[in-house]
Amino acid sequence: MEQELPLVSNLDRVASVRAVQRTRFNLSLERVQPYLYLLPAFALVFIWVYRPLIEIIGLSFSQWNLLPTAPKVPVGWANYQQVLVLPEIQRALINTVAYTVGLLPFSLILPVIIAIFTYGIRSKMGGIYRAIIFTPMIIAPVVVTVLWRWILDPYTGVLNAGLQTMFRVRPINFMGDPALMIPTITFITGWGLVGFCTLIFSSSLAGIDRSYLEAAAIDGASYWQTVRYIMLPLLSPSILFVTLLTVLFSSQWTFVHINVLTISSLRATTSNIYTVLYDFGFRSFNIGVSSAAAVLMFIGFGAIAIVFMWLQNRFSFYDS
Amino acid sequence: MIGVKNKPTASNVVGHAMLTGLCFLVVFPLYWMVVTSLRPQEDFFKVSLFPSSLTLEHYIYALSNLPLSNLFLNTAAMAMARTASQILMALFAGYAFARWEFMGKRVLFALFTFTWLVPQQVTMIPNYVLVSQLGWLNNLAGLIVPSMVSTFAIFLLFQQIKSFPQDLIDAARVDGGTSWMILWRVVVPNLRAVIASLAILQFISAWNDYFWPLLVSNRMETGVLQLGLQAFFTQEGNLWGPMMAAATLTALPIFIVYIVFQRQVIDSFVKSGLR
Repeated sequence: MEQELPLVSNLDRVASVRAVQRTRFNLSLERVQPYLYLLPAFALVFIWVYRPLIEIIGLSFSQWNLLPTAPKVPVGWANYQQVLVLPEIQRALINTVAYTVGLLPFSLILPVIIAIFTYGIRSKMGGIYRAIIFTPMIIAPVVVTVLWRWILDPYTGVLNAGLQTMFRVRPINFMGDPALMIPTITFITGWGLVGFCTLIFSSSLAGIDRSYLEAAAIDGASYWQTVRYIMLPLLSPSILFVTLLTVLFSSQWTFVHINVLTISSLRATTSNIYTVLYDFGFRSFNIGVSSAAAVLMFIGFGAIAIVFMWLQNRFSFYDS
Repeated sequence: MIGVKNKPTASNVVGHAMLTGLCFLVVFPLYWMVVTSLRPQEDFFKVSLFPSSLTLEHYIYALSNLPLSNLFLNTAAMAMARTASQILMALFAGYAFARWEFMGKRVLFALFTFTWLVPQQVTMIPNYVLVSQLGWLNNLAGLIVPSMVSTFAIFLLFQQIKSFPQDLIDAARVDGGTSWMILWRVVVPNLRAVIASLAILQFISAWNDYFWPLLVSNRMETGVLQLGLQAFFTQEGNLWGPMMAAATLTALPIFIVYIVFQRQVIDSFVKSGLR
């Protein structure tokens, strides 16, 4: 027994040392745990977002044609100088502004009006309306393009047929007449957005505290005064948000329609900033110019986003 | 009270009229697509709102001229793999951000947030080069791997886990649960509804993705439905019957998902603000 005691205590000591080691290991595991959980997502974001973001800056200072065997020749600021003077890019910039402004009625003006007029409608129809007007949002953009191309066809399309029987006008070539192409593409894109944006505004109106409206009514406010002084101010964060989305994403939303609908010879007419980047990169393989334009566009959109976020913070004192 | 109740009812008539108009504008083109795909060829010259009879000939033509089953399988594989991975990554990352305070947390969080401002068109050339160096052009890996993480999904799950009752996690911890076990036995089962609607949302956006597949696949055997439809359109632009049949088939799976999960789909889209 006496001989065994030290043995036991030795074992104990070993056990306790192990336990300390284990807790130490557990502690350090505890400490690295969050990093382990974040590792896969962060590795992927680094590889597919930050690595290319760094590389594109390098590419914007070189001349290259995308062939792995071809050398990348450093050319300094030449690509940037070209970007600033190339007529294709200027055209694309002007078009981008036209698309963005043209989309605002679809993403902002109409949806706000519809949301205000339909505020307070509580009927069984509500859910059905919602489900229907949202539908274009989930239909694949290519399907939307092809579908409208068929409806707008100058000879066999249903719209022209209808216009002819009703007004006896000559067939309108919506997708072939250079003057009509941007409005047509804007309309097709807008068709996909109206319902979705209406739901954004409706859902933020639904969050309005009814007591505001009741108080206004007791004070004798007219319906228009209620809209002007209560609903619109309370909608302003959503208005700002949707405007930001439209400015940042209009090029992305119109891209598919432009790319599918426009035949090569008319491409310059309908190009926006993204299709021009795509064309320089993957059609004429002028990687330098495409990259320089991408860097400038990234800086420009970033600046716009920062301004909007600043505005959002300034106006966020409205509760909702 | 009186003012609130009376005046909007006057505007409600206008409201209903607007919604009905908008619904018509949405439904008619879709109706026209389906009707065109089903009406016989001789119907095309007289524009009538209703088909004289129904036929599947356009579907047969589309199916025999487009490798639709191939495209369908590729698209489904791409959409499912992307969705599964995005949810898994977002669970891990959202869990880490919500549960622990650690060095560099704010920086890492900002790095994830910032990706929202980086459009695909900025990163497309280096990413295309990397995919081609890896030998992933015209290959499912090339379609899937670059989109395996969604920062939107990370933020959504982060917020959800953050607002999760801390007591449940603490109770599990007292019972000796590791963080891994707590994630799978406590967090995930309680987030089932959120994860489901997030999965639907991500699946729809992956199914409808056009831009990235356009860059990395240019063959019918390895392409996706959106590209197949585009190719079909460029080749046979005037065969409207088969075109509309192909378009209907491309839209159909998502449409079915939408009909089944309508409420969740709308809610998660409105919350996400488009991305």
